[in-house]
Order: sequence, then C-alpha cells, then structure tokens
Amino acid sequence: MDTSVLTRNNVRVFGQGTQPMLFAHGFGCDQNMWRYVTPAFADDYRIIVFDYVGSGKSDLSAYDPKRYSALAGYAEDVLEVIHSLDLTDVIFVGHSVSSMIGLLATNQEPERFAQLIMVGPSPRYINDPPYVGGFERKDIEGLLETMEKNYIGWANFLAPAIMKNADRPELSRELEESFCSTDPVIARRFAEATFFSDNRADLAGVRVPSLIMQCSDDLIAPFDVGEYLHRTMPQSTLRVLQATGHCPHMSHPEETIAVIREYLSGR
Amino acid sequence: MTGRLSDVDIGVDSLLDAAPCGFIAFADDGTIRAANATLCDMLGYVRDELQGRRLESILNLGSRIFYQTHFFPLVKLQGRAEEIFLLLRSKSGDDVATLCNAVRRQRGGESITDCVFMRVHERQKFEDALLRAKKAAEEANELLERQAMELEMSEQQLLEQGEELERQRTLAEEANRAKSAFLATMSHELRTPLNAIGGYVQLIELGIQGPITEKQADSLARISRAQRHLLRLINDILNLARIEAGRVEYNLASCHLKEMVDAVLPMVEPQLQSRGVRYSVDVAPDLTAYADREKVQQILLNLLSNATKFTPANGSVAVTAAVMGERQERVALAVRDTGVGIPAERLAQVFEPFVQVDDSHARRAEGSGLGLAISRDLARGMGGELTAESEVKVGSAFTLTLPALLPT
Repeated sequence: MDTSVLTRNNVRVFGQGTQPMLFAHGFGCDQNMWRYVTPAFADDYRIIVFDYVGSGKSDLSAYDPKRYSALAGYAEDVLEVIHSLDLTDVIFVGHSVSSMIGLLATNQEPERFAQLIMVGPSPRYINDPPYVGGFERKDIEGLLETMEKNYIGWANFLAPAIMKNADRPELSRELEESFCSTDPVIARRFAEATFFSDNRADLAGVRVPSLIMQCSDDLIAPFDVGEYLHRTMPQSTLRVLQATGHCPHMSHPEETIAVIREYLSGR
Repeated sequence: MTGRLSDVDIGVDSLLDAAPCGFIAFADDGTIRAANATLCDMLGYVRDELQGRRLESILNLGSRIFYQTHFFPLVKLQGRAEEIFLLLRSKSGDDVATLCNAVRRQRGGESITDCVFMRVHERQKFEDALLRAKKAAEEANELLERQAMELEMSEQQLLEQGEELERQRTLAEEANRAKSAFLATMSHELRTPLNAIGGYVQLIELGIQGPITEKQADSLARISRAQRHLLRLINDILNLARIEAGRVEYNLASCHLKEMVDAVLPMVEPQLQSRGVRYSVDVAPDLTAYADREKVQQILLNLLSNATKFTPANGSVAVTAAVMGERQERVALAVRDTGVGIPAERLAQVFEPFVQVDDSHARRAEGSGLGLAISRDLARGMGGELTAESEVKVGSAFTLTLPALLPT
C-alpha cells in the first residue's frame, strides 16, 4: 500500500462492508461535505473519502499547477487513491465536477469500477448552442471575481498556514474549522478547470453503469443538462430529485441516501 | 432613559425594518422566509415578491455559483459564515455589492439561515482597485517569467547551434583529413611508376641497351622533362597532403637566416640570370630564427622561384631581413620582386591550394599551384606566418616571419 498518496489526499477509510464506495467532493469543498450521507452506507460498504490535492487537508506541497489545471489531473488523484488501496468493484460517488472526474477515471480503468453515481453533474457549464449549459463565459468570470474578492480576506487568514507555519498551532486549529480552506490561486485554477471544461466527448465511451442525480431547480446543473447526459451516456439512469439547489447531499441528505440506496439495490 | 430594551414598545419586525442593513432568512432549500424593508429597498422589491422566492434568484450569476459551491456548504457545515462578498441582483437587474454574515439555526421546526447584508460600495471600489493592481502585478510577473523563459530558450538554442557548428567543424576536419590521407597514398602510388619511367629513360639515354639515334635522344629528353614535371607536381601534392594530414615533423633549432638564404640562392641563380633578372641579398649574418632549417629553405626556394617566374627581364628580386616585435621576438625574411603583381581582390586567395592568379599566368608559369599553400602551412607549423603584399605592375613582397628566440 502506497501510504504517500493516502497522506497526500487525506484519505479516510471506514465502514463494515467490503465493497468500496468512494466519495469524491466537488469544487469549493472537501470530504466533509459527505458527512450527512456516508454514515448511512457505513454498515454495508467500505467507505473511502479523500480531499483532492489543493483542497481540504491535502498536502499542498504536492500541488502541481500543470497537473491540476485540467480535470484529467484530478482523475489521476482518484486512480492513485484506488491503486494505493488496491480497490476493485468501486462504487464511485461524485458531486458536481467530481462526476466528470469520476467519468474520466472510469474511462481510463473501467475494470476498477462497478457503478458511477453522479450528483448534480454537468459535462459543460458554458452554453454552446444548441447545447444549454446554463452559463455564459462572463458569468464564470463573475464567479472568479467573487471568489477573488472573498479570498482577499481568506488569503490573509490562510497565508501563514499555507506557509506551513508549524510554530503557530492556533492557526492550524482555525484552519481545521474552516473546511473551505483553500489557497486562492489553487481555488481559482480548480474553478477554471471545472467551469471551462467540456467533457461531452467523453460521455459516449463510458463503460460503467451510471446514476445521474438531477436536482429540481439546480442553477449550476440545469434539468436540460441532466437530460443531455442521460441521452448521451449508455447504461445511465436518470433520477430527478425533489431536492432543490446543487448540494442535495447537504441540503436533503435523506432523499439523497434513499435514491442512491434504491439504485444500488436495483442492480 | 429607563429600563431594559424589552420594555420599549417596539416590535421586532419594525426594529429589523429600521436596521441600516439588509436582512434575509432562508431555508436549506434556498426558499426565502423573511426579508426586511432595508433589503427590499436595496433591491427594489416589495416584501411579498421576495417571500417564497429562491435566494439564488436575487444573486448575480457568479455569486449564485459561489453560493452553491462555497457559501451554502460553509453555513451548512459550520453553522455560520462571516464577511462573505456577494453581488446581489436587484429587480431591475443591477448588481449590488454586499458583505454578508450568516448564522444557521433551528427555528419553527426547520433549519433557517439568517443573513445580514451590508452594502460595500466604497469598499468594493478599493477592492476592485486592489484586484486590478494585483492582476497588473501578476501580468507583469508573467511577462517577466515568459521573458526569462525565452532568454533561457535562446541560450539553449545558441548552445545547440554552437554544438552543431562544432560537430560540423569536426566532420569537415575529418573529411579533410580523409582527403589528405587519400592524396598522400595516391601520390606515393603515382611516384613509383614515374620513377620507373625516369630510370628506364636514363638507361636508354646512356646507350646501355644499344645505340640510339639523335631523334630518339631528342624524344627521350622530352619524355624525361615531362616525367620530371609530373614528379614535381606529385611531390607538391604529397607535401601538402602530408602537412594537412598532420604528418609533418618539425626539427626546430636555432638557424642563421643568412646561411639558409645562401644555401637556396644557387638553386635559382641560373634561372635569374637566364631571364635577365637582377637580384640582391641584404641579410645581417647574426640574425637567427628558431625554425626547421629544411622547411625554411623549402619556403625560400618557393618564394624565390615564384619571384623569378613572375618577374620580367630587367626586373629585380631582393631578399631582406629584419627583427620584429617589442622584445625582438620575431624575425622577418622578405622576398620582394618587381614582377606582374597580384590584384588586391586575389591576394588573399594565393595561399589557397590549387590557385594561381589567373589562367593566362598559369599557362605561362609552370607549377601545381600548391607552393604557396604548402609554404604557408609550413610557416605556421613552425609558429610563424607567411603574408603577401602586392600591387599590379609594381611587384609583390612575400614576408616569412618566424620566432626569433627559443620559446620559454
């Protein structure tokens, strides 16, 4: 077992089952976002959660700007975690951008995966008529600006921690409490990799059965996008949730758990 | 003022409505449950329009994504968020910059997030300026990095070009050495039959194999002349090839210039006299060079026969010597003629192998065209140099410089 990857990606493994369920967080968060959902599966599955390099409590010194300027670099993180634990028959659960990261990983090594569960996925966020992604380029630039404005404050707070200021433990404690702790430069690159990505060409080649969890009234991944995915991906199941917004696993964990459970039992 | 706040007869709602900042309460699914008058005014809505509406609908698009990816996860996981910058969207579609503090708590059987929005018009201007400055600095930095990279690349290219040149130089040298080796071998192979021709011609001329007629003797003399000419050409080629192949050894020693000139002069005197060319030697007897005596004599012979060849009757050839250099470390031997001269544009080429100044001269003057090339190579081989000055119809001067002292 390669422990360096496990440390690098802050991998946590728990649960009583044998089949692995690998939960991958989306942009802006870390593995904590899964904490309302994972306990429900811990009795029957082996749960693996992790932080992408650059997010949460991952090893920032392992951050490689080139690797993480495209989603393929994040997919490498996923595969490396899988290799380190030598996982097979993996149920991959990805939120938002992690749905596409998971898709890229399964396309690369389909033999490792059993199912792909996508929560609020979108293969492309920017409109490309007749394709409707929901956003124009300037909207994404608006997001980047909003992030930057917020990181002005956050960056000042995080700077000492990023510089690995070990002799000031109070800083790392504060950092632990701030789950969105991310270096602003890294966050911006992740945002660009996410929102400027176009994975439509990768959909048709998927070799793993998938569940598309489409929220009602999701501004980030509109209904048309879920339909498009279902139409394009072979062996896909589309479920429209009553949950609104983009983070049903946090806002509506019960429904999210029920839909995943139903899908897994139906195979 | 008397009593506590609760004694004051004022409703919470009207207190909130009078507050100088916007207030909104929303449920986990984003539904707005309450908004105060300040927020309604800020965005141009009446309160009923906001009730039940999704929070995202009063956010600018960028802020909507930020709300979903950062803000909501933050309040959900931490229960609160502080000083979050959000652009609200007014009813008329304008962006309103705000800072938001939020607290998520249980109320009325559900989780409600209470948000307070403060307009940050002035602050936003500063932040915009700050971001612009930051962007400019980043761009400048990128430019610098790019330039540094380009410099590195051009340095790399120069290095590669240098390596390529070096490689080509080595290849050229190898090719030249191969050529010289070939010439040396060929010349040697050619000399053997030529010497046989010369030997048998002499045998016949001497009448050893029987008497010969006058006509036959005349023919044998022609054969003999042609054979000697050919042998000289081949020897020249062989010499040059040997030098270029680096196979010449130099026996350096202190030599008197005068002695060497005197040794060579008798070899050209007959031609000088027969052509009616005057000659003079002005070399001090104490001048010495550190050189290979035979090689210097070979050079001198070449220079003197050239001078003889290219100087018409009544012309003159002069040999002079001088000491050169601050420490008198060099000596110069000059052979000056009043011959046809060499045009300035051809002067540099006379030291190239197989070059004579022009074809008509070449026809007039015998020779391989290798003499000066060999002479200069020999001069350089001894640490010296051979240079030429000339003026058409006035004459030429060839100067051989050599080290005067033992090298220290």
